[in-house]
Amino acid sequence: MSPENIDEALVDAAQAGSTGAFARLVERHQQALRAFLRRTCGDWAHADDLAQEAFLEAWSKIGRLETGASVRAWLCGIGYNKHLTALRSAGRNRAREAAWEAEKPPSSSTMTDERLTLEAAMSELLPDQRACIALCLAADFSHAEAAEALGLPLGTVKSHVTRGRARLLQALGGSDDGR
Amino acid sequence: MTDADDRLRALFAGDEPPARDPAFSTAVMAEVARRRFIADVALAGAVAAAGGFVLWAFWPAVEPALLGLSRGLVPVMACLTLAATAVGLLDGWLVRPSPRNHG
Repeated sequence: MSPENIDEALVDAAQAGSTGAFARLVERHQQALRAFLRRTCGDWAHADDLAQEAFLEAWSKIGRLETGASVRAWLCGIGYNKHLTALRSAGRNRAREAAWEAEKPPSSSTMTDERLTLEAAMSELLPDQRACIALCLAADFSHAEAAEALGLPLGTVKSHVTRGRARLLQALGGSDDGR
Repeated sequence: MTDADDRLRALFAGDEPPARDPAFSTAVMAEVARRRFIADVALAGAVAAAGGFVLWAFWPAVEPALLGLSRGLVPVMACLTLAATAVGLLDGWLVRPSPRNHG
């Protein structure tokens, strides 16, 4: 059974009210969703909170997920909307920024210079650009799948990826050797 | 896929959470269960309140019918009670083990 078929069977069962099937979906997709949100918002603790909220919303809206749709893209779309809502909430954002310094993941202390440079360059990108990079370069989303997840036109996604990639490589001191 | 893409992907891999994270999954499912419980309790409360309101609203019409029904049911219930008692006693007598002669 292919991963897509497994997802489809689990979604069918979850739509029929099976919390066990939904728990399997959480297990299967938590890594992708949390990685995407960590790269998009930069704050690991906040990203995990958003991922949890996204799963809870997914549970309440699972009935609306169409048969054959990509569960991963759907979840990332919900997570991204939650991230944008949080960004718009300026007060919360300021509080998060203060908390971020205190709650920075332990790995940050052992980050290489390149990782720190990448993180700094990512933080300078626009939210949509970051999201496109997080899906298409950091994960293995196709441009079409990213467009579906983020609700952006395909051309916009391609342009965000190309420009974002160039800026990241420029910050890292590398050359654009491919595209 | 170019070398530059591979390099970026390798750097991004540092953000990757574990493939299996029981603590995260459990936290999500505990919250799902909590919300489901609250929704169930709210639904049961709403149904009970609606039922109570309907009964209160229609009580003047329902009361005579219930009284008539209960009067009609008294002989039936009495017969059923007697029959149940008889069956219970008879059953106990029938299945009672026969006394053994130990002498």
